[in-house]
Amino acid sequence: MLKIRASQTHPSPLQIHLECGPGELHALVGPSGSGKTTVLRTIAGLSHPHSGRIECNDVVWFEADGVSSPKTILPPAARSCGFLFQQYALFPHLSALENVCIPLQNSGLSVSERRNIAKEWLSRMGISELGERMPDQLSGGQQQRVALARALTRQPQVLLLDEPFSAIDAPTRQSLYKTLADLRKDLHIPILMVTHDLHEADLLADSITVIDQGVGLQTAAPQVLFQKPRNARVAELVGIHNIFEGIFDAGKLRWNNSQQIFDVIDKGKIPPNTPVAWVIPADGLSLLEKPNHSNITAKVLQVSTLGQIAVIQLQLHDGLHTITWQASASEVKRLSLKVNSTAYVEIDSAKIHIMPLRPINDPRRFRD
Amino acid sequence: MDIDAILLSLKLALWTLVLILPFGIWMAHSLLKMGKSRPWIEAVLALPLVLPPTVLGYYLLVGLSGKDLFGIPLVFSFTGILIASLIVNLPFAIQPIQRAFESIDPEIREAAQVSGLNNWQIFHLIELPLAWRGITSAAVLTFAHTLGEFGVILMVGGAIPGETKTVSIAIYDKVQSFDTAGAGSLSIFLLGISLVAIALSYGVFGRNRRYPRLRGK
Repeated sequence: MLKIRASQTHPSPLQIHLECGPGELHALVGPSGSGKTTVLRTIAGLSHPHSGRIECNDVVWFEADGVSSPKTILPPAARSCGFLFQQYALFPHLSALENVCIPLQNSGLSVSERRNIAKEWLSRMGISELGERMPDQLSGGQQQRVALARALTRQPQVLLLDEPFSAIDAPTRQSLYKTLADLRKDLHIPILMVTHDLHEADLLADSITVIDQGVGLQTAAPQVLFQKPRNARVAELVGIHNIFEGIFDAGKLRWNNSQQIFDVIDKGKIPPNTPVAWVIPADGLSLLEKPNHSNITAKVLQVSTLGQIAVIQLQLHDGLHTITWQASASEVKRLSLKVNSTAYVEIDSAKIHIMPLRPINDPRRFRD
Repeated sequence: MDIDAILLSLKLALWTLVLILPFGIWMAHSLLKMGKSRPWIEAVLALPLVLPPTVLGYYLLVGLSGKDLFGIPLVFSFTGILIASLIVNLPFAIQPIQRAFESIDPEIREAAQVSGLNNWQIFHLIELPLAWRGITSAAVLTFAHTLGEFGVILMVGGAIPGETKTVSIAIYDKVQSFDTAGAGSLSIFLLGISLVAIALSYGVFGRNRRYPRLRGK
């Protein structure tokens, strides 16, 4: 079990608290410059927070209260971390096999034993025939497999992956997803992965922490995160297009500047007449062929088709709100949607998720 | 041809190389981690590049005059010109190695750290081989520059045959005594050896083979 609590204000803000169990894949998601990589570097001991505590399998790697000098700082070499760098950082003067041997330098094993272990890892990564190649003779995907083998030879207690799939092409990515999935089953150690690709995080991770400006905004399982973002910023960061504001009053949500009122169930925590943000996930939104009693009439503003997927921008009849609707191209054809045509939108109020306008630790979060 | 002068120059160049390279590597590596003092130390180390040889020679002559090392006088002796040569060559030995260390991607060092290597292992398994080009060019520059050094050697060593009279000083002497043929043959020797040294550094050590191979690592 890996437990991290870290905070600092300089040189870049950091406020993070997370736990990752053995065999769990935890994704850190956020815009570039949000401090995702800093979290990994902090765990590996390449940078130190002002205060906090990092603990892995009951061994304290770092501890500081931020007032007196740190109580514990283990150097990177003493932390049992496998680190996959975004640009791989292979040693350019060593062959693939020699790169993988390097972490065994202090293992007390003989040179031939080390080489055998390294060969084993290369074959596990499916590149046993490339051991003698130099890094500059390998493709991006091959380099990454070498780097991954190197990160694992020391049998680390934690695996840290920094944007592992950002620099490789789509087919290679698919096979690496599989490698990662296999590894995860076999290794049974906490795996932390930094990514800016939400789809990837959704596909691979058991839980996701959304980071913005160094602050961990929400940690949740992917399906929870996409259905119930904690606040409007999280919703925005996880790529929810349809974020709106409204006034919530005893089970009724009034859409701002509109006559539309939805019946929404809440836990009774929100005071009456509170301005709130709300989202409607994609599966709560549908377009009808014919009007019915509860639909909202809208005008099609834009239809963008990308292969099999179409993104439709709809303007509601009041002219104030725009809804984004994603569907298959055939669905668009079936409904014969064209720019300026009329569409009938139905919002499933059971799927509406209400959030405070501001982060949870902000005392003004329910006021505007 | 003045064989004595040629042998003396080669001896001086080799001794300079043997003594200055380890220091150059250590200094260049230490400079990486220095903070505010770094520009000043770099300035002192680069001074021999901009000071006129006579000025440097004058200070060395005054500074070393009357002193000895285990009974060997430090002016007008081989030891004296060796010390002078070491000082003159500081920038040539340090700067290429420093540039080579600086050009190593910091992530490579971090990867070595997280791979569990200690500082000494990072230095000799990773940084030193990666700085190889810089080290060979420092060696070649130092060697060729020592063969050709004139002003400082003359100031500190004079022109004692077999002791301090190097090839470049012998060339000057021969021209002064109208022995243009003798000066010409020594000049050709210096020209040839400089050319070969630089060609070697470009060809054998570099370009095609960027790093030396480490076996058994």
